[in-house]
Amino acid sequence: MKISGSHTVALGKERAYEVLQDPAILARCIPGCESLDRIGDDEYQMRMKMVLAAVSGQFAGKVRIADQSPCDSFRLIVEGSGKAGFMKGEGLLRLSGIEEGTQVDFDGDVQVGGTIASVGQRLIDATAKLMIKRFFAKLADSAVE
Amino acid sequence: MTPTITRTKAEPLIGKRVKRREDPRLITGTATYVDDIQMPGMHHACIIRSPHAAARIRGINVSAAKETPGVVAVFTGEDAKGVGPVPCGASLPGLRVPHHYILALDRVYFAGHPVAVVVATDKYIARDAADLVEVDYEELPAVADPEKAIAEGAPAVHPEWPDNVAFNFHQEGGDVNQAFAEAEVVLKQRITSQRLIPTPMETRGVVAEWKSGDKSLTVYSSTQIPHLLRTLLAGMLGLPEHKTRVVTPEVGGGFGCKLNVYAEEALMGFVAMKIGKPVKWIESRRENYLCTIHGRGHVDYFEIAAKRDGTILGLKLKLIQDLGAYHQLLTPAIPTLSVLMMPGLYRFRNISADIVGAFTNCVPTDAYRGAGRPEATHGIERMVDILAAELNMDPAEIRMKNFIKPDEFPFATATGLTYDSGEYDKPLRHALEVAGYQKLRAEQAQARTDGRLMGIGLSTYGEICAFGPSPATPAGGWESATVKIEPSGKVTVMTGASPHGQGEETTFAQIAADELGVDIDDVVVLHGDTAVVQYGIGTFGSRGTAVGGPALYYALQELKVKIKKFGAMLLDSDDVSFEDGVCTCNHSGRTCTLAEVSGAAHRAMKLPPDTPPGMQATYFWEPPNFTFPFGAHLVVTEVDRDTGQIQIKRYVAVDDCGRIINPMIVDGQVHGGVAQGLGQALYEQAVYDENGQLLSGELTDYAIPKATMMPWIESAHTETPSPVNPLGVKGVGEAGTIGCSPAVVNSVVDALSGLGVRHLDMPLTPEKIWAVIQKGGQA
Repeated sequence: MKISGSHTVALGKERAYEVLQDPAILARCIPGCESLDRIGDDEYQMRMKMVLAAVSGQFAGKVRIADQSPCDSFRLIVEGSGKAGFMKGEGLLRLSGIEEGTQVDFDGDVQVGGTIASVGQRLIDATAKLMIKRFFAKLADSAVE
Repeated sequence: MTPTITRTKAEPLIGKRVKRREDPRLITGTATYVDDIQMPGMHHACIIRSPHAAARIRGINVSAAKETPGVVAVFTGEDAKGVGPVPCGASLPGLRVPHHYILALDRVYFAGHPVAVVVATDKYIARDAADLVEVDYEELPAVADPEKAIAEGAPAVHPEWPDNVAFNFHQEGGDVNQAFAEAEVVLKQRITSQRLIPTPMETRGVVAEWKSGDKSLTVYSSTQIPHLLRTLLAGMLGLPEHKTRVVTPEVGGGFGCKLNVYAEEALMGFVAMKIGKPVKWIESRRENYLCTIHGRGHVDYFEIAAKRDGTILGLKLKLIQDLGAYHQLLTPAIPTLSVLMMPGLYRFRNISADIVGAFTNCVPTDAYRGAGRPEATHGIERMVDILAAELNMDPAEIRMKNFIKPDEFPFATATGLTYDSGEYDKPLRHALEVAGYQKLRAEQAQARTDGRLMGIGLSTYGEICAFGPSPATPAGGWESATVKIEPSGKVTVMTGASPHGQGEETTFAQIAADELGVDIDDVVVLHGDTAVVQYGIGTFGSRGTAVGGPALYYALQELKVKIKKFGAMLLDSDDVSFEDGVCTCNHSGRTCTLAEVSGAAHRAMKLPPDTPPGMQATYFWEPPNFTFPFGAHLVVTEVDRDTGQIQIKRYVAVDDCGRIINPMIVDGQVHGGVAQGLGQALYEQAVYDENGQLLSGELTDYAIPKATMMPWIESAHTETPSPVNPLGVKGVGEAGTIGCSPAVVNSVVDALSGLGVRHLDMPLTPEKIWAVIQKGGQA
């Protein structure tokens, strides 16, 4: 499933690029994130709780950052699984400076399996968009502090 | 209060609208289903299932689950690998049969594949502990689409067969090449019959009880085939058959999906034997959608050859069957039934069919209401309409022209069947008359002028019922009945057909009451317990009444001979008749009742010559042929141009199922069948994504028709008795489903024909129809 969109962050491009890869800030901003620990270069272990339709559950997974082109773009590779199923995703985030700060465009592909696929697939698109929106809203708050 | 329907000599019970005797317990919630069974010390099982459609199992860690208080055992594929494979009862030349372990061993083949089982003292503990079982999967590429599966380069479902072809099957009759060479018109169409989820209201469920003292296993299961299940379970578990008992309590819908032997049935037997306690497993709805067989799953390429006057000369079919990852009990046999049914009700005798059975990383397909015959009928009836449109002929006229005529019966078809009896034009004429066909066509013309999209669709279907002669079935096609007259004259019938909603507790009581001349309340019909009832085959393929009924009839005839012997003894006569529950001496006119006769037979103070005591008869009846019901459905639809919504304005169903024992039950069967046919035509589809994930895995995502979505069904019948059995019955369980989907699709295609639409694949969702209208008729 394709997921794409764009959000504005009220930060300069360099700061935005930094914040989007800062595990402490990400842990605070990713909805449902319970922990985000660095396990290697650009690689993190994450635990999060997700609610999708009638299914909720803990997911444990890895987040990897690749193809970094500082301040302009990077690739995010996510893989997680839990009792409610599994998810895999990959997306490219592109940053561009605009008057209000930085515009972040993302374009990705998400695959889900298990119960979350068989029960919640109609809501995945909407849920993902909602989570991303909340993420950026929180990011704006966190980064300003 | 409704007056009780009683039997009189002039008016037998057969043919009357006797209310179903099963219903009071069903509608008052006092029936016993598997989940209602409680036993002292009963444990509960929860099954861990693969989230992946294809993966290697690198390891399973059960220690955390095992340590949970209340958990008594966790079993994996390694523990259960000694249990025999889930059986496939169908055989075809060259059939590839994968070994189907009851729990996956080192690899999973579909999302939902059982991997391990947790057993606990409480079902919630079992469920929570199941989350603690850690399975390390190495995901593998999967394929979910049957056409992609058999294409070059597809991932292999079973590594030993990289082409994903389970079998190729060819059948032909007549000279199809000559028919196509002589044809003035040849038309081709790809027609799909989508995967469907049978959705019984009661999901599957199993309770297994091991009696270690006498080393016997009792399995309670929601099944259509208790005796076959017992035979096969005993084999899987290495138990003697006579120490294995299967009990079928109330079954909340089967529709073919419980005509099977499932891994979980053997698994619960295995667990009960291991823990020495009774164990219960009740399938959740999500499991039911993922793991109980699906139906249909056809991609059909049809070619029809005809003359310009509408005479059909021949039919070719290439059929790709989505089998799923394994063969369940009858999986590979189902598409062969489609081929048998290909001639429909028409006279042409040139046929050629090729089936490719394709493995996919999906749950297996198997019998679902109609099993092979709805797919075939849908294809034929679509092709006839496509031909009619091409030739500018009326769809009713082209059907009449090609019907087999009444004087041609018995009719040998190109597929090797012998149709028993039929007057195929009768239900069609009746349907046209009831619907006011000419008037409807005039209304349609007016609607078109007004810019409205109105359609009239027909299907004239044939069926193969009463499965069946034993040589044509995998496990014997006969059926059995025992009739006991108790010393008081009350009657107990035991049928080997295991009815589960078809109403034989009522119809068989009608038959017995008529034959013995007793009140229907004096007859009880028992079934579904292998320790109580003699061996039987079960209920499927519209066979319960059509094969089980005659078995009962013949048992009753044997008993009547004995009744007369005892009557003659009691009346001291050499010439007695038995009618209306009374033996009469034809000389003196003196009489004695059935109760007196049965009392004397059990007391046995004196016996007639060469006659043993007691009053019981058992009959095993082998049917000489299938039966072939038929009918005509007519559907009037109107399509909303702006939304694509389809409204069914009229639904006329005229079914000929031979002699009718209970018109109310026959109507009920037609209604239920039409509901499931409409489900396929308009709403339902089991959707897998390209990675083999089932996306329609809940009732929120799988659209079965609700009561508000049902049209008023104008149901009528013609009665052409079958010469195959003494009751003249043919079977009606699947008729509604078979007749429905082509009539609905033909109607909608007719409505959209002005836009140039020639064919639409099911389900006809508003979204699909709206898109077709938007594109000006391009599907």
